[in-house]
Amino acid sequence: MNSLSVYLTVAAVLFSLGLFGVLMRRNLIGMLISIELMLNGANLNFMAFNRFLAPEPAVGQIMALFIMGIAAAEAAIGLSIILALFRRLRSINVERAQRLRG
Amino acid sequence: MMWLPHDPVLSAALACATLPFLSMAVILIFTRPYQRLSCAISVGAITVCLGCALYLLITLRHAPAPVEYQWAWIVSSDMVIPFGFLLDRLSLLMLTIVAVISFLVQVYSIGYMHGDPGFSRYYAFQSLFAWAMMTMVIAPGMLQLYIFWELVGLASYLLIGYYYEKWSASQAGKKAFVMTRLGDIGFFLGIITVLLGFGDLGILHMNHAAQAGDIHPAVVTLGAILIFCGVVGKSAQFPLLTWLPDAMEGPTPVSALLHSATMVAAGVYLMSRIFPFFAASPDAMAVALIIGTITMLLASTMAFVTYDIKQVWAYSTVSQLGFMVMSLAAGGYFAGVFHLTTHAGFKALLFLCSGIFIHEYHTNDMREIGRGGGRKLTIPMICMTVGALALAGIFPFSGFFSKEAILGVLAEHPNKLFLGAGLLGAAMTAYYSFRLIFFILFPRSTAEEASHHEEAHGHGDDHGGGHHGHVFWAMAWPVMILATVTLVLGFFQNELQSYLLALEPASHGHEAVEHGGHGVGHYLLLVTAVCLAVGGVFFAYLEFGWKKATQEGFLRKFPAVETLFANRWYMDHFYRKALDLLVYCGFTNVFTRNDRRVIDGGIDGICRFTVGGGRAVSFLQSGMLQYNLVLMVAAVGVLVLVFAL
Repeated sequence: MNSLSVYLTVAAVLFSLGLFGVLMRRNLIGMLISIELMLNGANLNFMAFNRFLAPEPAVGQIMALFIMGIAAAEAAIGLSIILALFRRLRSINVERAQRLRG
Repeated sequence: MMWLPHDPVLSAALACATLPFLSMAVILIFTRPYQRLSCAISVGAITVCLGCALYLLITLRHAPAPVEYQWAWIVSSDMVIPFGFLLDRLSLLMLTIVAVISFLVQVYSIGYMHGDPGFSRYYAFQSLFAWAMMTMVIAPGMLQLYIFWELVGLASYLLIGYYYEKWSASQAGKKAFVMTRLGDIGFFLGIITVLLGFGDLGILHMNHAAQAGDIHPAVVTLGAILIFCGVVGKSAQFPLLTWLPDAMEGPTPVSALLHSATMVAAGVYLMSRIFPFFAASPDAMAVALIIGTITMLLASTMAFVTYDIKQVWAYSTVSQLGFMVMSLAAGGYFAGVFHLTTHAGFKALLFLCSGIFIHEYHTNDMREIGRGGGRKLTIPMICMTVGALALAGIFPFSGFFSKEAILGVLAEHPNKLFLGAGLLGAAMTAYYSFRLIFFILFPRSTAEEASHHEEAHGHGDDHGGGHHGHVFWAMAWPVMILATVTLVLGFFQNELQSYLLALEPASHGHEAVEHGGHGVGHYLLLVTAVCLAVGGVFFAYLEFGWKKATQEGFLRKFPAVETLFANRWYMDHFYRKALDLLVYCGFTNVFTRNDRRVIDGGIDGICRFTVGGGRAVSFLQSGMLQYNLVLMVAAVGVLVLVFAL
């Protein structure tokens, strides 16, 4: 087992945990944290490929920095949405936010 | 004016075909509130048209061949439908008749319609009619003729329903429109038959080809009979004749112009227009002859019993049109057209005279006009008598000459039954027209009624002219002109004949025989016809004019027959029943059901399907964010599987 596949395995596990969390948690904050996990899994993939395969080492790092920036922005927006939802529903449980039911 | 064509003939024809239309448009759009201006525009336009028509008649009088101007209108592979003008002897004659009568009637209307709130509208419709009729008359092809034929029908509808606030008038307009349309369906099918079977709708081409035998005989017969349906509708022939008496709901000048002199004669004109085409099919001619005969006799019987002065003339119009159709169908091209010409003159005269009486006494009932002192209106009374003499066919009035010509043609026909019918018709015509004259001339009334009427009307009538001023004279002048025409037109028979027939070799043979054969038989016929006419007049005098006459009519002794005649042979009842049965219970029912079940049902069904479908699909939307996410992940998984494997 070479070192690239180790990184890839760890990243896949991280991503899957995040996905599982997003699908299973009913708490919006929990879902947000899980999304961060998924983003980090993807980030790890980028860095691993950059380290072992890419001819130009700077590209993957720039990508990773971008994703971190996006994750920060996403967290800010997500938290503000959650805040707005809490003000309305007095709860951050997604089961309470079912206005779109047909 | 650079854009005007330099050919004066074409300019004149163009003027006839556009000016009245422009005048209608101007009146309807701009000058409706200004009655005098509208009237001046319309009368001015028709005056120019009259000048153009006379100019055309005089310049092209000796033209060796028809003058034709055409522009391609519809071109589809090898079929070309032209639009333009065909100026030959027949169309020029008819154009002049239309222009003259339209002009006189429009002048007359200045007096008759004076003070009517819809004065401008009336003149707009008159212009519409003049435009449609004149363009129809000079049409070179059947399709153009058909289009303007329909426009003439529209003008007729609008003018019959002119007093639209009157229920019976609007009903009569509708009836006229629908009944003539019934015939026009046949006409249109006939045009299609000719187009399919021959491929050309040019009138001259059709005539030549039919004479030369280039068209299949079955096509000619079918086409001619179908086109004759249009004639039946427009000229109020036998099965469709009841619309014309009802059309008398319109103003009297309209009746004079459209429903006696020109528009209803359009059917006869159409028949003479394509006379060689008709003549090529003996079967179609036989059908037309029978229909014409039935019409002539039926309409005469109806005129025996009515007391409405306009209705009498309406029935006589129907009957005279039947005469013309008979003459054409028996091969007498000239006799038919000649009778059309003289009839246009004297029938317009009769209607316009009646109009003066109606205007004066505000009633259509001939007995009341008589009691009111109708005979004191000297000018119209004399003119009306002139018209009635012409209608009855008494020498030397124009009707005498044309009726003789027709009887001469009928005498040539192998079946003498038609000659007998013609003679009978002539006698009946004399009887009913003089029944009317004697009713007005020798009124009968109870003493008190008489004195009452003397008081009411006596003083006004004596100085009719001075009292009524320009209103009366606007009506009197056209009447006097027409009376003069009626007096002298008959003596121009030979001129007219040589004028018309120079270009009609097809019927020339017939006419030559008829004209050349001034033998004993002809004079015998002449004397018989005049005797019958005079006999009819005398019989009418015995019953209605004579001092001891009962003014009841011999028909009073046969109440059943009288009821039959008065109810127009129950033709209207028949149509009513047929309408109820066929349309209201048959078609309408089916269509209503179709509307409710199929169309409404279909739209309701679509709505229900949409709503139901939406509802069914909405169960998929649980509102749980994470179920959607699961679905998304699953979909991505499936996509990966599909594309990766």
